[in-house]
Amino acid sequence: MKDSLVLLSRILAHPDSRCWFLAWNPAGTLLASCGGDRSVRIWGREGDSWICKSVLCEGHQRTVRKVAWSPCGNYLASASFDATTCIWKKNEDDFECVTTLEGHENEVKSVAWAPSGNLLATCSRDKSVWVWEVDEEDEYECVSVLNSHTQDVKHVVWHPSQELLASASYDDTVKLYREEEDDWVCCATLEGHESTVWSLAFDPSGQRLASCSDDRTVRIWRQYLPGNEQGVACSGSEASWKCVCTLSGFHSRTIYDVAWCQLTGTLATACGDDAIRVFEEDPGSDPQQPTFSLTAHVPQAHSQDVNCSWPSGSISRLKASEPLWLWIESCFPRKCPRTSPVPKRTRRSILDLPLFGPPAFRLGERLRATGPLTLPPLTRSPW
Amino acid sequence: MRDLLLLRRRFHGEGYREGYEEGSSLGMIEGRQHGTLHGAKIGSEIGCYQGFAFAWRGLLHSCATERDSKKMKVLEALIGMIQKFPYDDPTYDKLHEDLDRIRGKFKQLCSLLNVQPDFKISTEGSGLSF
Repeated sequence: MKDSLVLLSRILAHPDSRCWFLAWNPAGTLLASCGGDRSVRIWGREGDSWICKSVLCEGHQRTVRKVAWSPCGNYLASASFDATTCIWKKNEDDFECVTTLEGHENEVKSVAWAPSGNLLATCSRDKSVWVWEVDEEDEYECVSVLNSHTQDVKHVVWHPSQELLASASYDDTVKLYREEEDDWVCCATLEGHESTVWSLAFDPSGQRLASCSDDRTVRIWRQYLPGNEQGVACSGSEASWKCVCTLSGFHSRTIYDVAWCQLTGTLATACGDDAIRVFEEDPGSDPQQPTFSLTAHVPQAHSQDVNCSWPSGSISRLKASEPLWLWIESCFPRKCPRTSPVPKRTRRSILDLPLFGPPAFRLGERLRATGPLTLPPLTRSPW
Repeated sequence: MRDLLLLRRRFHGEGYREGYEEGSSLGMIEGRQHGTLHGAKIGSEIGCYQGFAFAWRGLLHSCATERDSKKMKVLEALIGMIQKFPYDDPTYDKLHEDLDRIRGKFKQLCSLLNVQPDFKISTEGSGLSF
């Protein structure tokens, strides 16, 4: 039986501007959105509807590009085109800006918290990646400025269990960094993509890294430690990363985001052709040369580029009858009228989730797509 | 007829040699100028960082707090990097890598000291530009 996507709610999140990013907090109770109106909004459920619990508008002078919750859920980092990153502390329903991290020369493109909660990474169009450390007194200190990339850095992501940082850039490479004697160094460069690498995702075990690119492929890289059985050469005591799989021919346009489901190990991509695709690893495929098959393709998932969404454990509880769901929640452009939420019982599949911004999407539970979905005609937003 | 051909070949060869020599020497001059300019830019940039670092080392000399000692550590690391840099070897294979590391360390230091580096690129010539 196939499951469907059900629209829960439409929210006019950032009136008169784009909504660039969405992030669920670790508990799954709050949704943070950020947009071109320079504000960050916090949304929470109240009964059947979503209400705006907080508007954080004093932090930035330009578009807020990304928000990220700390692993403990008490802090929110917002990265902006004004070259700063604000750290907001949650105090009941209110958020207070505890500090502003400055230093980048231009637009900050991404921010990410390490799983330990002590480290934060930001990256920018100024080609650098900054690593910040926070202590118990909420004091942030820059521990390293990494100038390894030769172009705009698009995305940073931390390894799920090691203190390893990965960054993706317009220079077609992925770089990995780790701490070495009090300083951070670039310990690996993953080359292979033929164009901008837009996003990265580690698999739940952290042994593999997926990267998606403007060259319309997804590459899976695997970590090989020194002395590995497969005989992959490593230099000294450094692990080396090898591309073990390339998913090509599935996407017709730039792939803007990739996500690796933490529960099921499924891979999902968001593409500039407005579709979402889900890949699963073929059971029994050689771990050194895994093969992935396309198991779901939701075409025209968005009439315009989608921003992103984090599925939330608590939301999926509403769909208790169907254990495997993909949730896409997004914010709408100003032209879209506010509509009331679709009643939960309706099993219609709805696909119209128009947004602005790069298509991006995160998967928390497995998706099984339904049959054809009806949609209004595609209108591509210039972006 | 054959003499004409030989003559042509001879002049061709001579012309080529003369041109090659002239081109080489012009190239050397241009290359030297380019190297001087480029080298001067890098030199002035690193010199700036070094001056900055020495000044702050003097200011923070009597550091008391743990925070200050962290700053000193980064400062000393920057000074170390600058002093280790091989200024007389333009063929050093890690030249740009090391330069980028120095720039990164400098930015980190500025962040820790809460100082905005104010080096603007100006076309008038005054002020620092690199």
